[in-house]
Amino acid sequence: MRAFLAACLAIVVIGAGSYFALSTLQQPTGVAYTTDGARISPQWSWRAVFRQAKADEPAIKTGMTIPAAPGELADDCDMRTAWQWIFVDFGNPKGEAACSVSQ
Amino acid sequence: MAILSARIQLLVAAILFLVCAAVTPLAAQQPTSVNPTAEAVKEQQLLQQLNRIQGLGSIPDVKSYVIEQPQGREWRQFHEVWLHWIGAIAVLGMLAVLIVFYLTRGMVRIEAGRSGINIVRFNAFERFVHWMTATCFVILALSGLNITFGKDMLLPLIGPSAFSSWSLTAKYAHDYLSFPFALGVMLIFFMWLAGNIPNRVDIEWLKRGGGIVGKDHPPAYRFNAGQKAIFWIVVIGGAAVAVSGYVLMFPFYGTTIADMQLAQIVHGVVAVLFVAAMLGHIYIGTIGMEGAFEAMGQGTVDFNWAKEHHSLWPKLKEQNLRTGPGELRGKPSATPAE
Repeated sequence: MRAFLAACLAIVVIGAGSYFALSTLQQPTGVAYTTDGARISPQWSWRAVFRQAKADEPAIKTGMTIPAAPGELADDCDMRTAWQWIFVDFGNPKGEAACSVSQ
Repeated sequence: MAILSARIQLLVAAILFLVCAAVTPLAAQQPTSVNPTAEAVKEQQLLQQLNRIQGLGSIPDVKSYVIEQPQGREWRQFHEVWLHWIGAIAVLGMLAVLIVFYLTRGMVRIEAGRSGINIVRFNAFERFVHWMTATCFVILALSGLNITFGKDMLLPLIGPSAFSSWSLTAKYAHDYLSFPFALGVMLIFFMWLAGNIPNRVDIEWLKRGGGIVGKDHPPAYRFNAGQKAIFWIVVIGGAAVAVSGYVLMFPFYGTTIADMQLAQIVHGVVAVLFVAAMLGHIYIGTIGMEGAFEAMGQGTVDFNWAKEHHSLWPKLKEQNLRTGPGELRGKPSATPAE
């Protein structure tokens, strides 16, 4: 029984080790079989471009106010422009107000 | 006169209309300058001439430029049809043979009964290596069979969502547990190679059917011919599935599409045969033979078991020298080995 338990432990350790070893040796298919032009990089963001442009201008509220819950006034959220919808951005929307409803 | 003229004009118009109506479908069937199937015909001709259709692309993976190749169809036929048949016949056939054998022969008992004296057959390290390899093998076999048969057999039972989750987990397990399995196979090779070199005693053992039928007990050293066969199946089969598996795990690392297809064929066929062989091994090591599981379970076997199945094993002589053979003959008790 002890030999079996030790074997199970060894399997877990070697399996986990192989996970990390393979992660360093191999690339995800999305990277391995595409060019830069075909990738959507999480580091690159149209949002950042628009946010930068906004920072240069006087603040204009383009969002809408929606009650998030009954009796409560809602947060601000930025309306997406057509360009932002066309160039879909899967990046992390840091610094943006979270929208409580789907646009 | 005017009426006659009008009627003649009407008749002529009607004849012209009928002629036009009759001629139009004929004209429609005539070949035009644009043949909608012309490209397909050219592609087929190209395929026959060049044996593949290849285009141009802008992504780094140049293999993706190959659009059609007949070998791909043969390979698809293999893994969608032939492998299913080979696997089903091997695995279900072996299961059927074992069931029939068990029902007719039953468990092979220790004829002289248990002596109450145990001798060490496998030390802790040997058992550790065996169980590491065996546990990985069971998981690899189940996750591998899922790749071939899961879509047809499991998907209708558990639904797409559960099947998807299970298959993803099984795929990762298949990849990562291959490493302890391959390590185990290597250790088994070096650990037990000395005892598994075929010799003349094995020929006699095979001639007598290993004593599996009837009450015969042909002589054998530490490993009999059947166990040696299992050893070499594990070593050669394990090496084949490991090498072909790593070729598949590292796609196109110095291999072509044809190499990858060959690796998948070798991996699939050897794996299902391996599973069938291991079913036989599991059977004889558990319900097929009394006292056999103890060898890997606790590491020891009963002296009488060893005497009946491995009468030439040197350890028996050592035990005889220590206790004297006379003491063992008079103890046909059924005390379980501990």
